[in-house]
Amino acid sequence: MKLSALAAVVLLAATGAVQAQEKVVVYNWSEYIPEGVLDEFTRETGIKVEYSTYENNEVMYSKLKLQKGKGYDIVVPSTYLVSLMREEGLLHEIDHGKLGNIGNLSADLMDKSYDPGNRYSIPYLWGSTGIGINAKEIDPATITGWADLWDPKWQGKLLLTDDVREVFHMALKKNGFSTNTTDPEEIRAAYEDLRELMPNVLVFNADAPREPFLAGVVNLGMIWSGEVIMAQEENPDIMYIYPSEGAGFWVDSFAIPAGAENVDNAHRFIDYMMRPDVAAKAVEELGYSTPNRTAKELLSDEIRNNPVIFPSAESIRAGEFQQDLGDAMEMYNGYWEKLKTGS
Amino acid sequence: MQFRRLSILLTLFWLGLFVLVPHLLVVLTSVMTPDSEHLAVWPVSGESWSRLWEPIYLEVFWHSLWLSGITTLICLLVGYPFAFILARLPSLWRGVLLFLMIVPFWTNSLIRTYAIKLILGNKGLVNSLLVGLGIVDEPVQLLYTEFAVIFGLVYVLLPFMVLPLVSGFDKLDQTLLEAARDLGAGFWQRFRLIILPLTMPGVIAGSLIVFLPAMGMFYVADLLGGAKNLLLGNIIKNQFLVVRNWPFGAAFSVALILIMALMMWLYFIANRRINRQGGLHDESL
Amino acid sequence: MKAFKRGFVILVFAYLYLPILLLVINSFNVSKYGHEWRGFSLKWYEKLAGNEALMQAFTNSLLIATLAATAATVIGTLMALAIYRYRFPLRRTASGLLFVVMLSPDIVLAITFLVIFIALGIQLGFWSLLIAHITFCLPFVVVTVFAQLNGFDRNLLEAAQDLGASESRIFLLIILPLILPAVIAGWLLSFTLSLDDVIISSFVTGPGFEILPIRVFSMVKVGVSPEVNVLATLLLAISLVLVTLSTLLLRRKKPQ
Repeated sequence: MKLSALAAVVLLAATGAVQAQEKVVVYNWSEYIPEGVLDEFTRETGIKVEYSTYENNEVMYSKLKLQKGKGYDIVVPSTYLVSLMREEGLLHEIDHGKLGNIGNLSADLMDKSYDPGNRYSIPYLWGSTGIGINAKEIDPATITGWADLWDPKWQGKLLLTDDVREVFHMALKKNGFSTNTTDPEEIRAAYEDLRELMPNVLVFNADAPREPFLAGVVNLGMIWSGEVIMAQEENPDIMYIYPSEGAGFWVDSFAIPAGAENVDNAHRFIDYMMRPDVAAKAVEELGYSTPNRTAKELLSDEIRNNPVIFPSAESIRAGEFQQDLGDAMEMYNGYWEKLKTGS
Repeated sequence: MQFRRLSILLTLFWLGLFVLVPHLLVVLTSVMTPDSEHLAVWPVSGESWSRLWEPIYLEVFWHSLWLSGITTLICLLVGYPFAFILARLPSLWRGVLLFLMIVPFWTNSLIRTYAIKLILGNKGLVNSLLVGLGIVDEPVQLLYTEFAVIFGLVYVLLPFMVLPLVSGFDKLDQTLLEAARDLGAGFWQRFRLIILPLTMPGVIAGSLIVFLPAMGMFYVADLLGGAKNLLLGNIIKNQFLVVRNWPFGAAFSVALILIMALMMWLYFIANRRINRQGGLHDESL
Repeated sequence: MKAFKRGFVILVFAYLYLPILLLVINSFNVSKYGHEWRGFSLKWYEKLAGNEALMQAFTNSLLIATLAATAATVIGTLMALAIYRYRFPLRRTASGLLFVVMLSPDIVLAITFLVIFIALGIQLGFWSLLIAHITFCLPFVVVTVFAQLNGFDRNLLEAAQDLGASESRIFLLIILPLILPAVIAGWLLSFTLSLDDVIISSFVTGPGFEILPIRVFSMVKVGVSPEVNVLATLLLAISLVLVTLSTLLLRRKKPQ
């Protein structure tokens, strides 16, 4: 009897000891944090990072809802999801007082309509979705916009990202509509257009669209800007083209779920990520753009002047940022399923 | 008395709570109304079930059935002769080859699927051979096609077919065959009248063990097929995690379970009929 | 004819093993891409060992696999025994349910687990993962143990009962030692199944408890990665060991 009591005490103490270590549970997009950053963070602050990844916003949102906003301390939603989650009360308010580095961020990307005052999100990286091309196999001068992808000579040769909003963005922009339209007629027209595109598609990829390019399986398709930068390290022939009808722009921000248990540690994590050297590393390694002014100063001229990473004002004007569509998503999802069942 | 009661209660409790009740809950969910906030609410609604019959979903059912069917057929066509040859080898060789066949079965199926990308890619093994030998000028598009998906499914499931088949051949009584040969029966006669009927239980068991999992292995199709075609598994996952229409996802799951149940029922009937014809009785199930 | 047979068998094995062998070879390849051999190197193994997140996921998987296999073996053995030996109401239902679990596609099982955990209010995480793993391993343990129980000499058991031995003594002293090979084989099988599972785990696991197959899945989708090659080689080595063990064990039961 005494032995088991002793064992119970020891066990309890052991589990207690394990839990005593500070931690922060981070849920992020796959391949979206520079190597070594997490280890550095732990070394400097003593906070252990429990890290897991997701491949699209919807999965993250669903998991969070299933767990009633508990379990994760940091998530990284895109703009439209920030506004949705904010309205549903799934996010914890962010205390700017705890973020010493917040002054590093450029005002251009702060205080936007999807989160006035940035009370619930802090921008991390932003980028665009455009056309990827292997310049050695295909002459880049021949491709200027989304419409070019519909050419029948690309039958069975295209890659598209596996994201309903981005694929529809292509067709909507091609028809001159807004990427945030909720008009059933416009959406249906885009769907009809996409149906004709399907025979051209070889593969959908949402994890690493650069992979099929690098493997030589595709030479043309839709891709995220950062993926091209990462691909160029291994094959400099891979290029990025801003389509004339307008690329899709998005911002991914740090947010703290309402039920987070380690709110202070989450704040420290966000603050750490806003350090100029850390943010600069993100740009260098992942190829996306940063809202962090001080980080931009640390980057080489080559990177600063690279239009893929830092698009020109013109490209931004031609493009469009994604916003929440509310109930209209049902229409999009319905058409998406139709497209994906080959009917 | 205590021990007996404990084991019975444990059995009923665990299976009841973690198998029976969950399945019933899924059936229940399938007749509820979808709701974006609470996932599934009352009142009862036949909405999800009626949607199943929409052409695009029937198309998905048909496609999944077709893929699983072809996979099972190919596994059978390759596995049967293989088991046949294996069964007649001397014991040592049989043991070794069987061992070699089981090892892949025990290796992570994801990794094995990934390995196929190396073989079928444009710069992969097959294409390098074809181009190198001059059979084709340019690499053939093998990856991200239906062919790649079937190739992958067969690759993962072949051992599942071979093992029951070998077991079936094991139980084949050699003396019967010898007697037949003595009586002057030719190879094909022996095959048709003795071997085939007696190994039929193994064939059916193997087919079931390949067909049913194949219906659910949508990740093979995603990895090798280019994620272009939604299969049953994709739809269910999508409905639960992305679209968050739980009743509809549940209805799909129940439909899948019903198809499975149908297959199993056919299995039992076929088995019983064979036994009545005097075939071998497979006791292990 | 004989050459044809031999050729056929070799072809089948080539089909099964070539892809895996390529992976193994490439795990030692200096070049990142594996399209050409550039020299022998162990650097990818070092890189893997240094990848803390991956190592953490690996340890988590081993932990779950061990716990789940052990629990499934204990529970499953008792279940096999109950079904074989005792008459009780719903006995047929019990074996039916086990059959259902064994043949259900993973996605369907994943949904049923998700639903019950939500209904019971069990937070998704370590415990939900463990319960799910135990449950899907159970039928395989039961079938393996049951098959061995089937060849049992009932006279032994009747004799013991006549002599007044209690059920638990009969189990511990007579039955268990004789079915031990099957029990261990069941453990090995459960361990493998648990390590392999992707779909069910991705549905029922929670934050902060990442397991290996899920990480492998994301890595595999990202594409050619030398770390996956190393992982493949290691997992293959583990399976080789497990299969050898289990074959040797089940061999021993034959001379009875």
